Amino acid sequence: MKPSLHTQMLLFLALCAFTAINLTPIFWAFMVSIKQPVDAFAAPPMLIFTPTFEFHYSVWVERGFWRFLLNSVIIAVAVVCISVPIGTMAAYALSRMEGAKARGILFGLLAMRMFPHILLAIPFFVIASAIDLIDTYLAMVLALVAINQPFTVWLMRSFFLDVPRELDEAATIDGASLWQTFTRVALPVVRPGLWVTSLFSLLLAYNEFLFALVLTGSSTKTLPVAIAEYGAEDINYWSLSAAAAIGIMLPIVLFMAFMQRHLVRGLAMGAVKG
Amino acid sequence: MHAQRGLWLFLVPSGSVLTLVLLYPLGYAFYLSLFNYYLGAEPIFIGLGNYIALLQDERFWSSLRTTLLLVGASVSLQFVLGLAVAFGLYKLTFATKALNVLLFLPHVVTPVVAALFLRWIFMGRFGLIDAILIGLNIFPPDWLGSPNWARLVVVLAESWQFTPFMIIVLYAGLNTVDQSQIESARMDGAGNWMLLTRVMLPAIRPLILFVLAIRIMDSFRFFDTIYVLTAGGPGTATETVTIYTYALGFRLLEVGKASALGVLTLLITATAIALVIAFLYRREKGAF
Repeated sequence: MKPSLHTQMLLFLALCAFTAINLTPIFWAFMVSIKQPVDAFAAPPMLIFTPTFEFHYSVWVERGFWRFLLNSVIIAVAVVCISVPIGTMAAYALSRMEGAKARGILFGLLAMRMFPHILLAIPFFVIASAIDLIDTYLAMVLALVAINQPFTVWLMRSFFLDVPRELDEAATIDGASLWQTFTRVALPVVRPGLWVTSLFSLLLAYNEFLFALVLTGSSTKTLPVAIAEYGAEDINYWSLSAAAAIGIMLPIVLFMAFMQRHLVRGLAMGAVKG
Repeated sequence: MHAQRGLWLFLVPSGSVLTLVLLYPLGYAFYLSLFNYYLGAEPIFIGLGNYIALLQDERFWSSLRTTLLLVGASVSLQFVLGLAVAFGLYKLTFATKALNVLLFLPHVVTPVVAALFLRWIFMGRFGLIDAILIGLNIFPPDWLGSPNWARLVVVLAESWQFTPFMIIVLYAGLNTVDQSQIESARMDGAGNWMLLTRVMLPAIRPLILFVLAIRIMDSFRFFDTIYVLTAGGPGTATETVTIYTYALGFRLLEVGKASALGVLTLLITATAIALVIAFLYRREKGAF
């Protein structure tokens, strides 16, 4: 049943064409970011020009986008540091509980994942304004930790389910407490899973827009909010916003390179992300 | 059974965060939805007044229609394209790994940035498409400025980000189909089309339903792409329920009415979820 070389080549070319079209928007933005505006506005588009990285330097350093990067990183790291530990604990409990009880809670989590975010954004904003939490890291971190919980719990639970219960039972017989069993026996086995979950949570927090738009202000603004404002400005800033957009994407490309192997599992579960 | 006793304690931290940060605000939104409340002014209790006003509001119905149209069009496009590419990858005997990674890239790009990328493709005069068309002396349509083109661009932008998701999940699914089933279909002389539609798709039906359900739910509340690409315009041509809620709450500051609209969205979504879950669980145990 070996397909012929001829059809294989055609199939390969078709898939390459599709991939190329798919990557065109990224390629085009990158081209704009290294062109002088004069060249960027040329029609038909020029392919030969002198590339320059002055816009990358200008937007990240002189125009202070590094501050938004810092905000994004602070928030995303704080979210992961809170969300993953508490989610992992809950996931462990749910993987070791009786089926019916655990299923009820898991469905509850799934339901929470389906909440329209805009419905939460309104009370978040009203409450945060009332207790003076607008434009603080705390408001943003709390909101994202909560939004992230269903995803974290479901994903970590799938890793704990792969840990044989006999391991737990053996530890219990040896006199380990529940907490010791969790930290010394179960956690080390799921370490790869912890990495996957952390990285996906990091990505989720880094990319989030709606809550950031509502809850952050001039001192805590994250990259997506900053670029959305900037990108909407005068067309003369095109090269600058393209440079910023490409820069925002770079850490994600690194993430991809790192995560390749784990993508499918994270996604099938990531379907549960919020 | 001794080990089981303390387990519920492990749920406390996560449970408290969820209660305080998700459930409490949710309840508060229900409460707010019963008031005529402009941010900054005194709230006035009006019972179900906001809901009645919304159900009589043409803009609400139009945003609901737009949402259904955009969700339907983009999820169908994503599924058909995703399945075609996944099947292509399945048939391909080399370079699949590299293609997989490259194809997946658009899915992880920050949604706001992805929307900007697409805007720079479709932007009037200077965008890639217009620059090429003008170079060829063809007069391009106003992609983002005329209602139907703008809707198409929004659908394409959504699909650009989420077709990769379909591809990777469906590709993984196709690879789980029992090889002996495929062989025996081949023996019976089934072509590729028959093989895909009669053997492989039925075999991964739970996965397909699951992935479609997830995509429908998520695109229902999608916000970032439309906010950046068209902000609901031109006029209200691409205004979804979510965009309308945002406009009500954060532009017009009608917090009470916006909450009511959020609650309505939740009810619509919940109905959809209930239907999907009932469907999934009646047919296929363990699809989750």
